[in-house]
Amino acid sequence: MRGADYIIKKAAFAIATIFVAITLNFILFRLLPGTAVTGLSRVPHATPALRHALEVEFGLDKPMWQQYVIYLENLFKGNWGISFANQQPVWDNLKTDLWNTIPMVLLGTVVAILVGIATGIISAWRRGTKLDQVSTNTAIAFYAFPTQWLALVILILFASYLPSHGMENDFLLNPTPWQHFKDVMSHMLLPSLTIALTLYGEYTLIVRSAMLETLGEDYVLTARAKGLPQRTIVRRYALRNAMLPTTTLIALSLGYIVAGAILVEDVFSWPGIGLAVVDSVAARDYPMLQGAFLVLTISVVFFNFIADLLYFRLDPRIKE
Amino acid sequence: MSLLEVRDIHVWFDLPEGHQLHAVQGVSFDLDPGERMGLVGESGCGKTTTILAVMGLLPANATLAGEVRLDGENILEGGEDTVREHRWKDISMIFQGAMNALNPVKTIGQQIVEPMELHGVAEGNAAKIAAGELLELVGIPAKAAERYPHEFSGGMRQRAAIAMALACQPKVLLADEPTTALDVMVQAQILELLVGLAQDLGLALILVTHDLPVVAQVCDRASVMYAGKIIETGPMEELFHNPRHPYTRLLFAATPDLYGEEEVLSIPGAPPRLDRDIVGCPFQPRCDSAFDRCAVELPELKSVGIGHDAACHLNDLVGATTGGGGAVG
Amino acid sequence: MSQAIQAVETENLSLPPPRKKGNWFWDIIKGSTQAKIGLGVILFFSLLGIFAPWLEPYSVHQQSGAVFCPPSGHHLLGCDDGGIDMLSLLIQGGRISLVVGFCATFVAMVIGGGVGIVAGYFGGGIDTVSMRVTDYFLVIPDVPLMIVLATLFGAKLYIIIFVIGILLWTGTARIIRAEVKSLRERVYVRRATALGSKNSRIIFRHILPQVGPLLIANTVLTIAIAIFDETALSFLGLGDPTAITWGKIIEFAFLRTAVSAGAWWAIVPAGICVALVIMGCYWLGQSIEDALNPRLKVAHLSPRTFRLRPLVGEGKDAL
Repeated sequence: MRGADYIIKKAAFAIATIFVAITLNFILFRLLPGTAVTGLSRVPHATPALRHALEVEFGLDKPMWQQYVIYLENLFKGNWGISFANQQPVWDNLKTDLWNTIPMVLLGTVVAILVGIATGIISAWRRGTKLDQVSTNTAIAFYAFPTQWLALVILILFASYLPSHGMENDFLLNPTPWQHFKDVMSHMLLPSLTIALTLYGEYTLIVRSAMLETLGEDYVLTARAKGLPQRTIVRRYALRNAMLPTTTLIALSLGYIVAGAILVEDVFSWPGIGLAVVDSVAARDYPMLQGAFLVLTISVVFFNFIADLLYFRLDPRIKE
Repeated sequence: MSLLEVRDIHVWFDLPEGHQLHAVQGVSFDLDPGERMGLVGESGCGKTTTILAVMGLLPANATLAGEVRLDGENILEGGEDTVREHRWKDISMIFQGAMNALNPVKTIGQQIVEPMELHGVAEGNAAKIAAGELLELVGIPAKAAERYPHEFSGGMRQRAAIAMALACQPKVLLADEPTTALDVMVQAQILELLVGLAQDLGLALILVTHDLPVVAQVCDRASVMYAGKIIETGPMEELFHNPRHPYTRLLFAATPDLYGEEEVLSIPGAPPRLDRDIVGCPFQPRCDSAFDRCAVELPELKSVGIGHDAACHLNDLVGATTGGGGAVG
Repeated sequence: MSQAIQAVETENLSLPPPRKKGNWFWDIIKGSTQAKIGLGVILFFSLLGIFAPWLEPYSVHQQSGAVFCPPSGHHLLGCDDGGIDMLSLLIQGGRISLVVGFCATFVAMVIGGGVGIVAGYFGGGIDTVSMRVTDYFLVIPDVPLMIVLATLFGAKLYIIIFVIGILLWTGTARIIRAEVKSLRERVYVRRATALGSKNSRIIFRHILPQVGPLLIANTVLTIAIAIFDETALSFLGLGDPTAITWGKIIEFAFLRTAVSAGAWWAIVPAGICVALVIMGCYWLGQSIEDALNPRLKVAHLSPRTFRLRPLVGEGKDAL
């Protein structure tokens, strides 16, 4: 199969990166003085017996490498510790949080990508005109606005028209699935809008740059020489080839999306992974912080891998 | 009336601050079916711009004047819109680096079929079969149509580009330095292929190059360009053995033996800048035979033999001219 | 390859490229409006920061107006929840925001540039290992890791600077390494090596001057990211509580219900300042990058087409 090597290499890299993150977690949260014993076994209101049981379970009395192995075992078994804040298993908390975050961020990101591609193409096509300048500088401006500030401005502007706190209306009693869906969607609009606005600018710049590159390539001249209409050339030659570097660069922005999610969820109190990070920082809830960091990293690594697959699909030149 | 009549082509490129670069300065020539003509000169002399102008493939910062008559009809009449109809169907082109001239994300077959379907020459399965036949014609197995450009070697890619150029059975083929990026053995094969196609299909060929052995192998006659103008045109024999312009003489005389030692020779000096008017002969500063008339008066292209024209004041000196017609157009 | 009569000079790759004149930077600035504006913005805020104590109308530690008082003649940008003048806060905040941004970037540039040059020049094992490490950290999301580090190590200014710098160097390293790798293959470098020049001499005399401009462009762009990251960390409560930055101003506004009080002046100007500096950095950095790697390609396709000029009369005098 073409590119089996490529896919395997990328998958191996993804797994290795996750291991690096896991190890980083272990080093930071366990090995640092003060956090080891106090961190993990510092479950509030714990009795000495519980403390001791936890110490044994996490192997805090054993040598470091054994602790690491136990740590890995626990991770894979789904035992990610107990949250200090609500006494629930970290993994259960995170599952719900992730489930809440994904639709909101996905909506914003997809809109940002589509708008970014459209404006990027238009700007590149009309390079040098006023339209291009306005479009490009607007993109730069939105890219430059701090995400949390953008969220606050949107909050100020639209708070009276759209829900801006949380994911659902607590006072909506016994909603039908449809009512619940509408309720959640109406709460999702402002946070997703913020995500879209904070992301789209970077994508505009990426696509514009890629299109300028491809519009100057010889194969575009060949296409014109063949008598193809402009629209076809832009689509089949320029854009299609511009999608290659665009995919790679969008993948590199995944970290930015995560940062955006954290800040947006904080402002709008959206009960997702981002808010979990914020709350666990404030409460020094180390198990949750560790878990959230890991979940975020795994998500980014995963989507990075997806982007690699997409690139593979788009570029026939990749053989190995 | 010839198949292709190029009349007085001028091309200006806009420069910053309102200036213009006069890249092509009144180029004219005729071409008949089956004729193989060379267009030679140094880098920057305007030869590539000239053939791009023939197909109207100029960028937005260019201004074009002149006529290109195909079977009597001026295809440049309405600008980009009218010339587009003739592209690939009547005149097609192959470029220097086939690496970048082919779309990397489409197969060779798709790229050959594309103009066929566009211009209504063939469709669907019939088009695919025709594409395969074209590939065989240029020496590539038909099955290779499923491959992508990067899977071909340089020579094969150029052959594929030729097959693609023939997709709509054009009357004229323009070749811009088609073999410059290839190694010697492959070059010879490609050139042989071009000659064969011109002969078998009655294709008219214009070969643009700075490489004289290439022109010698392929073309019956050639036009030499300097600073945007044609300064001599005639049969290959004449250009080699009886050049009537000092530039041509220096150019052709300096061509070393193909199999001899590699040596890059240069004519001292550089071509004149084309963003300002030139007084007198453009070659005068570098010419080894210039005299006083050369610095003040621009020499015109005049007949110096049968089918042989040159633009040099030397030919006006007593005993230098020969009679006969054969003037252009 | 066949003979070619050449009348134009070909690039002689065995000689070093012409040494960039000391004023290459100013040539770029002079040649680009975008660069001028970018540099102007950065200089403006830098000067504001340097002369902050003399420019602030009021003290930032004392109440001088009503709580959340709106913009007026006395307080051009109103007051915050403690009655402290916003304009003074902004001027003071700019100072530390820029300090953090510049210092973190300096850390990133030194590490990133160093790693990039060493990896690109020496290749081999060092290259493979450092590039692997860079790859991992390019994928692992920056901000969550910064949050973790800041939470664990505490919230002092120098820690924040270090935390940001330690994650920003990877991008620089990659770019510098690629450039150094290609420079290393140039004939003049290989010749210097063959002649027995010491590596350090080659690096400082030949490689560094060529890589310098690229490093500067990358540095400017990194400052933008560093400032962005600082505002994010501050917003989450991880900034130094004793230091006033624009990020902190936004955080306080959020925590102390400026939104419900309708006190937009406590929020909006701070974000605009951050955005302006980031935009300035982007414009300047991008201009330098464009000047170093000019996009030489003419668009082969564009909305406008070539113009036709009708031949008037016969003969070339007509044109």
